[in-house]
Amino acid sequence: MSTSTLSLPRNRDGWRAPVALAGVLAALFVLPVVIDDAFVYHIFITICIFAGLSTAWNIVGGYAGQLSLGHAAFYGIGAYVGMMLVNAGVTPWLGMFAGGGVAAVVAVAISYPCFRLHGPFFALASIAFLEVFRVLALHFSGVTGGATGMMVPLETGWMWMIFQDRLPSLIIAFGLMLLTLLVAWGLRQHRWGFYLVATRERESAARSAGIGTVKMRLLAVAISAALTAMLGTFHAMYLTFIEPGSVFSLTFSIQIAMFALIGGIGTVFGPLVGTILLVPVTELARGWLGAEAVGLHGFVYGSVLVIAVLFMPDGLMSVLSRFFGAGPAARDDDGAGATTSAPSRTQAQRAPIGDVVLQAEHLDKHFGGLHVTNDVSLTLRKGEVLGVIGPNGAGKTTVFNMLSGFLKPDSGRVSIRGADGHFHSPASPGDFARLQLGRTFQIVQPFAAMTVEENIMVGAFHRHPAVADARRSAREIAHRMGLARYLDDEARGLPIGGLKRLEIARVMAMEPRVLLLDEVMAGINRADLQEAIELVRAIRDSGVSIIAIEHVMQAIMSLSDRVIVINSGEVIAEGAPEDVVRQEAVIEAYLGKESVDAAAQ
Amino acid sequence: MEIVLQITANGLMLGGLYAMISVGLTLIFGITRVINFAHGEFLMVGMYIVYLVTTQLGVHPYASVLLAVPALFVMGALTQKLVIERLRNSDEHVQIFATVGLSIALINLALLIFGADIANTPSSGLRHSVGVGTVGVLTGQLVIFFSSIVLVVVLHLLLTRTRPGRAIRATAQNRAAARLMGINVSRVYVLTFGLGAACVGVAATLVAPLYPASPTIGTYFVLIAFVVVVMGGLGSITGAFIAALVIGLVDAFAGYYLGSDLKEVAVFGIFLLVLIFRPSGLFGARRNLSHVSP
Repeated sequence: MSTSTLSLPRNRDGWRAPVALAGVLAALFVLPVVIDDAFVYHIFITICIFAGLSTAWNIVGGYAGQLSLGHAAFYGIGAYVGMMLVNAGVTPWLGMFAGGGVAAVVAVAISYPCFRLHGPFFALASIAFLEVFRVLALHFSGVTGGATGMMVPLETGWMWMIFQDRLPSLIIAFGLMLLTLLVAWGLRQHRWGFYLVATRERESAARSAGIGTVKMRLLAVAISAALTAMLGTFHAMYLTFIEPGSVFSLTFSIQIAMFALIGGIGTVFGPLVGTILLVPVTELARGWLGAEAVGLHGFVYGSVLVIAVLFMPDGLMSVLSRFFGAGPAARDDDGAGATTSAPSRTQAQRAPIGDVVLQAEHLDKHFGGLHVTNDVSLTLRKGEVLGVIGPNGAGKTTVFNMLSGFLKPDSGRVSIRGADGHFHSPASPGDFARLQLGRTFQIVQPFAAMTVEENIMVGAFHRHPAVADARRSAREIAHRMGLARYLDDEARGLPIGGLKRLEIARVMAMEPRVLLLDEVMAGINRADLQEAIELVRAIRDSGVSIIAIEHVMQAIMSLSDRVIVINSGEVIAEGAPEDVVRQEAVIEAYLGKESVDAAAQ
Repeated sequence: MEIVLQITANGLMLGGLYAMISVGLTLIFGITRVINFAHGEFLMVGMYIVYLVTTQLGVHPYASVLLAVPALFVMGALTQKLVIERLRNSDEHVQIFATVGLSIALINLALLIFGADIANTPSSGLRHSVGVGTVGVLTGQLVIFFSSIVLVVVLHLLLTRTRPGRAIRATAQNRAAARLMGINVSRVYVLTFGLGAACVGVAATLVAPLYPASPTIGTYFVLIAFVVVVMGGLGSITGAFIAALVIGLVDAFAGYYLGSDLKEVAVFGIFLLVLIFRPSGLFGARRNLSHVSP
């Protein structure tokens, strides 16, 4: 996703955006009341409903990045549950919660098996579910009325959400829209919102930060489906008639998603903006042109969608935020002192190496016929730096993946000492994270669309569940890592050196006791290298135990207390760095047999 | 027993039809990695072309293949050139919405020009029943079935035996390496999209005499085509052919035993099961799993 996740610009001139938002929301309510025309009322009620639907969709489609084109299923569930209950004499004020509950349960049940599917395939699965719902609604006509549809009973008043006047309907639609916006905004501010976006951007990095990625997606889908269904219940009362074809409609689903896309997918208020812009255009077109030119408004719709994605793929919000925010202002707290003190050496003396904190016993792993790791055992003591070297393809990263729960060994065991002093054998990356094991990835895994600050916060939540605390902690770490001036920049814009630092910063924010570093020195320039070595040393001195995969010999030699050498999946040497690099087997593994012979002569 | 034979025959005929429509989609996906949500509308456009040519010029519907195929080729090539090409580095959702938008625009354009009524292409004797014993199928269906086999074989030969075919496959396997080998990748994409759409042109020519054209005719077929393409293994032409026959049979038997209103539940139910449990397709090797997270 290429959208800024900033809901509103945070800089000092940012007062304009909230004021504009308040103005727009007020206008949505006041304008129709002032104009007092039935058609105008209808347009504004429709805007409120669609803005709500689109905002609710955005929780799944935008925040979580699961492109659902079947959201009409939840809308339909809300509409039908509400309608059936109304006909059974139950007020829609209760019916909408019943519908919301049913929709949330259904959403979780159908999303759980689909959560592995990406992009177009999730979209296809959601379309298939929608079709199944439509066909079932048509088939079980005893319950749903089938193709003839269902009508509301002829009763009016607040109790039934059905009115002669338009104003009460507007009040309810407006209220539901505000509720949805509030939930969407609150979710984005909450830790969960960060987790959702992080999961969307980089699933493996999110898991290594201890995020239950499946649980988060299911949460998002449940909230989104419940809100969609509640709006569906009201919409059914407003329309007074529903039938499967119009309710469980693919076109309807696409429309909801399209408003969010054009407004700005993944932003809090983008769906609102998109709806406000598009609904009046289409409703007016339908009114004026509909009679003589069937299809014209649909044609315009489709063309606008194509043109919008071609020329404004990030949506209107990115255009608007440029106007309101004028870009992130220079941060006043980016003092020179903070930056230069970045990787400063801690004055405290290094603590002596302590007891074993991490133990891997006899790890075996096959990929098909390939024996990737063969009986690898290693131990790590508290405060120690263990270097792991070996030629490319030796299986070093596979060992890391087993040490952090991303791969399960075919046989063997990884145990880690918890804060309670006992050894545990965690199973998933999340469990490892909870035992305060942090890892970096060889290929950096930034949450590209999040700012540097937000990236680090994702790690910081691990120790500081409250957003404000996490933010403070993230800033502090950013200063220490020399990332302070990038805090408000999106991670995608960082140079490679910055991304490497960010990778470490995110892990450090988790305050790990055990740190796995996968080639953090690779590809950084000579000047930064010394700085990076100092940084790792400072981390070690703060009591963190480190295992580092590294090819940069200078770093290995100066940092490691012990080195193990892995070749073809086996540990071929272990010991003090200066001893290990003199061993014949090691030279042979790196340079080939001839080199050993040459050295011997 | 006779009924089972008849249903099997119907299912196979239906399968041939689904194969005809799906090979273009799987070709486009396999090479360009873009899911073309407007694929059904390509078919719809093709059917209207056949309708117009046949009714205006009074020729046999099959003669309109001479216009339908080049027209669809150009349409596909332009879609790639003007829309998809520009979005190559965009996120997936942007590509999806681009083709969805194209689909909406085309449906409504047809609505604007032809109205919501169906347009019947003259059947020219293609709705005559032929058969052995009590089992009978339409002449047109038989033509579709055998044409789909020919189409699959021709495409296969084209991709494996010709120079452009090899360039197409090389690009599918590794974009960057293909470019290094001097292949003009963006031209290959345009060619592939055009070729995939041209297949739809063939399909439209054969389908139009049997099914009336309407602005929304594509929507139904495209969903089935997605089912077939995913089930056959994305990008696999022979896989799509076999999957199409399977879905055709499921469709026919479910239609008879569950009722025509519930057969879609069976088809989409199978689709969902495949997506969830065998995302690489029923026959696909374990490649093409770019859509599933590790």
